[in-house]
Amino acid sequence: MPTVEVELEDLESLLGMELPRDEEKLNEILSYVKGEAKNLEAQEIRIELKDSNRADVWSVEGLARALRGYLGFEKGLKDYHIQGSSGVEVNVDLKLKNIRPYIACSVIKGAKLTEAAIRQIMHFQDKMDQTYGRNRRKTSIGLYDFDLINPPLRYEVAKPSEVSFVPLEFSEKLTLEEILEKHPKGIEYGRIVRKFPMWPVFIDSENKVLSFPPVINSNDLGRITPKTENVLVEVTGTAIDTVQNTLINVTLALADRGGRIYSAKIHYPYKGMADATTPNLKGETLKLDLNYVQKVIGMQFSPKEIRELLEKAHYGVVKATKSEVTVKVPCYRVDVLHPIDVVEDVAIAYNYNRIQPRWPQLLTIGGLSQEAEFRDLVRELMVGLGFQEILTYMMTAPEVLFTKMNVDAQRVVEIANPRLLSMTCLRNWLIPSLMEFLSRNTHVEYPQKVFEVGYCVVHDKEKENKTSDIETLACVTIHSDASFTEAKSALDALFTNLGVSYSLEESSHKSFIEGRMGRILVENTELGFIGEIHPQVLQNWGLENPAAAFEINLNRLRQCLQAKP
Amino acid sequence: MVDIRENESKTLIALRDAGGYSTIDQIVNVSGLVHSAVMRAALFLAPQNLLAVHERKSTKIVLNEEGKRYADEGLPERRIVKALQKTGGKADIEAVFKAASLSENIRVIALGWLSRKGWAVIEKGTKKLKLLKEPVEGSDEKLLALLKENGAAVVEDLSEELRDAVETLKGRKIIDVRVETERELELTATGWDLVKKGVEATAEISQLTPELLVTGKWKETRLRTYNIQAPVAHTWLGKKHPYLRFLDDLKMKLVALGFKEMTGPNVELSFFNCDGLFMPQDHPAREVHDMYFIKEPETGSLEQYQRFLEKVKKTHENGWKTGSKGWGYTFSTLEAARLMLRSQTTAASARTLISKDLEIPGKYFAIARCFRPDVIDKTHLTEFNQVEGIILGEDLTLVDLLGVLEKFAKDVAGADKVKYRPDYFPFTEPSVELVAYKKGCGWMEFGGSGIFRPELTLPLGIKVPVLAWGLGVDRLFMMKAGIDDIRFLFTQDLEWLRRMELI
Repeated sequence: MPTVEVELEDLESLLGMELPRDEEKLNEILSYVKGEAKNLEAQEIRIELKDSNRADVWSVEGLARALRGYLGFEKGLKDYHIQGSSGVEVNVDLKLKNIRPYIACSVIKGAKLTEAAIRQIMHFQDKMDQTYGRNRRKTSIGLYDFDLINPPLRYEVAKPSEVSFVPLEFSEKLTLEEILEKHPKGIEYGRIVRKFPMWPVFIDSENKVLSFPPVINSNDLGRITPKTENVLVEVTGTAIDTVQNTLINVTLALADRGGRIYSAKIHYPYKGMADATTPNLKGETLKLDLNYVQKVIGMQFSPKEIRELLEKAHYGVVKATKSEVTVKVPCYRVDVLHPIDVVEDVAIAYNYNRIQPRWPQLLTIGGLSQEAEFRDLVRELMVGLGFQEILTYMMTAPEVLFTKMNVDAQRVVEIANPRLLSMTCLRNWLIPSLMEFLSRNTHVEYPQKVFEVGYCVVHDKEKENKTSDIETLACVTIHSDASFTEAKSALDALFTNLGVSYSLEESSHKSFIEGRMGRILVENTELGFIGEIHPQVLQNWGLENPAAAFEINLNRLRQCLQAKP
Repeated sequence: MVDIRENESKTLIALRDAGGYSTIDQIVNVSGLVHSAVMRAALFLAPQNLLAVHERKSTKIVLNEEGKRYADEGLPERRIVKALQKTGGKADIEAVFKAASLSENIRVIALGWLSRKGWAVIEKGTKKLKLLKEPVEGSDEKLLALLKENGAAVVEDLSEELRDAVETLKGRKIIDVRVETERELELTATGWDLVKKGVEATAEISQLTPELLVTGKWKETRLRTYNIQAPVAHTWLGKKHPYLRFLDDLKMKLVALGFKEMTGPNVELSFFNCDGLFMPQDHPAREVHDMYFIKEPETGSLEQYQRFLEKVKKTHENGWKTGSKGWGYTFSTLEAARLMLRSQTTAASARTLISKDLEIPGKYFAIARCFRPDVIDKTHLTEFNQVEGIILGEDLTLVDLLGVLEKFAKDVAGADKVKYRPDYFPFTEPSVELVAYKKGCGWMEFGGSGIFRPELTLPLGIKVPVLAWGLGVDRLFMMKAGIDDIRFLFTQDLEWLRRMELI
């Protein structure tokens, strides 16, 4: 979820009211926009915004805009309009089609850009680039001092070694290629363009480079200071809707700082693609069925009530009849995909806490899964045998599963993107998890008897997910007199109580002492194994007492029981 | 008259035979009693003024591993001296080290001691090591030799010279020091009077045996009285894991409310974990830092879900027939087949919705292991359990959803008051966060919930509203168990598990 840093005074001045300093009360207000404030003492408070689609509230300006409606300072559609053309025309190069095809621009004149305002705009730009722009892959934003730029502009491609300019925060000219090597932003975002032979550049009529999208702006033209009077906003990207929505949100944030909006014209060379005038602040219209609202919320609202609630959420109401409301969605509400999104806003504007809850009287019969019932039975028996239940991670490492257990490595289900060396795969047997546990408890009083019922995961070509979950029981007893006999006695008690007759077949396994290990069979099905742990394994785990263990596949054991007459 | 029992009489007799003064060990040897029995007898007899118990502390020293090596090979500085003497009292440092076959790690130590003892110095000009005087055997070496011969020594018995050397060897960390308390018994005058008269004891037993019962001999014996206040050994009984026990309890409550348990695999198709839940394929939460993917094979099979896949694809792309705009991108079926570790229990809900056994109306829940590449700390685990569920029914609404949440908060968590906050999940709209107040705990976030979006339900063929909820049970358990570190849920601390009270 996006987190934005906001200066409380700045928010207050945009909002036109003082906000409570009490976390609880402030969050009550922020909950209208699904926000939660943290770190109230600092100059910049952190607000977590849960909605990862509602990009309009990730700026302090947009946050204030939304809250002004809910707090009753203004209602209905907020009127943003374009003052006229900025005169900016952008010619797009056909070669960008498969690289980064879309661009949208606007010019904002006369916005009051204090240091604090610039900081906030930068925060917002970052947040949009990261989240809505998917780390600049989908969209990226550039801001420029419009008065230093000479339109018409060209959005085109260049060879990495041919074009050079002074990137932001640098004092010397670098080629595009050098930017990818030397500039921190080049290192961070270079991967987006590196795979192409030609890279995007944004250039004015005097051949001054404005930027190298999506990597970095020019230090000369792309720097906004409190002295900047007029700002050119540019958004490039791979999805036209996202590019345009991003432009709208940045433009409106600047407009909320007292700026006037001017449009730009984009000339596309792509077949079937018309030229565009950006930004488009029209917004969509949709019809909201009152019956639908009632079916979702469970309460009946009159058309008048619905209108009031919608206007509180800054929707425009074009027409309201008994059965249907024609709703104008603000252009910046890029999150509205379906009428259900509008219905939720109606409920939020009404306030969830005013709704009288009702426990639905549905006649359903509850129950545990068969696996759970059997698992609980097995756990009960193991506890009765004096074993302490433990809980361990399913993720582990080959070192635990094989090296320390003195056995050859086997093919396991590996993680493509592990975070820790100790968690690179899923376990395919359970005893190693128990041994690891015991190795951390050598200072604790013996005898120690532990068990776990947990999943092991193995490859299985037949399954849709290419693996099988094996619910497994394993136990280990460790103390100065621990022996095969003790483990067998526990196994015997378990099977006797489950009413299963089993046999042991001599076998060998390098984790166990030769001649003190066997496979557990029920009829001809192998269910697991039992044995006395090999001294080498004990030594590998730093254990100084003999130990004996068994491990049983509970899926198979359950099948054996089901097959019983 | 003092009531003397068998062990006490044996102790007194052994002490008399030893001349009235003896160590406990000697009495153990003579009487055949075990050490603890003699001790118990002594502690019983002392208050009767029959004997006195003297404690003598002795400091025992033994050579440790390094000490034994020094004792065999000589102190490193002595080895250098010997090597120097062979080369006429002066030589290149490296050569001496080599001749004395000193390992790297003790060379500096050796030089330090040479200078401290004034045996040799490094000559300023030549940088050669030069012997200063004929080094005589020091007290430290004498003690070393003594320890080598006897294996151990009692500090209090050593000569003053050697006692000083103890500190030196201790400083060089080549001896282990252990303080032992030896107890000695001495007969008092009253005790002598008694033993001279002759002590006799009634035959007494501590353990009733089957033999005594069968033969009836128990009538002639006396059962010893016990000190019932004496501490006993701990019994560590078999127990369920406290967190799993808590989840068992939760399950029973959900079953009682009419919920059926649902399950799903740990290795999941992205289709169920994400796509089927209307999470766009470029959603930030689908990147490598939020989900674990399987290395090989990378993808599973969606063959049996083709009819759903097509609709889900269209819904993502343009909304299909759901009334939605969709996400407006080109959906990849290969991405939907990608295998991952389940990151949210909602995957099990998606599977339940397409199951042929689905009941409407129906209530379902799942408790499932989920995996996310979080850094493990006080508040995050990379593997954890989630409790989630769904309720399907013809006329379910937000009013019902709030009712379900209120029921959970009050019946399951024992909360006193509840509050609802707008929330966000990619797959629900409206979405509600449940905040519950419990006396002594304050307000806490207890769960997230919502009504599944039409973009989720319609492609999966579900035409009734589906309420979905998830409970933050980990925090509830931590509060009950009085812990503030989530890592305790998967604790590797046996002692903690053993001592954990049942809650």
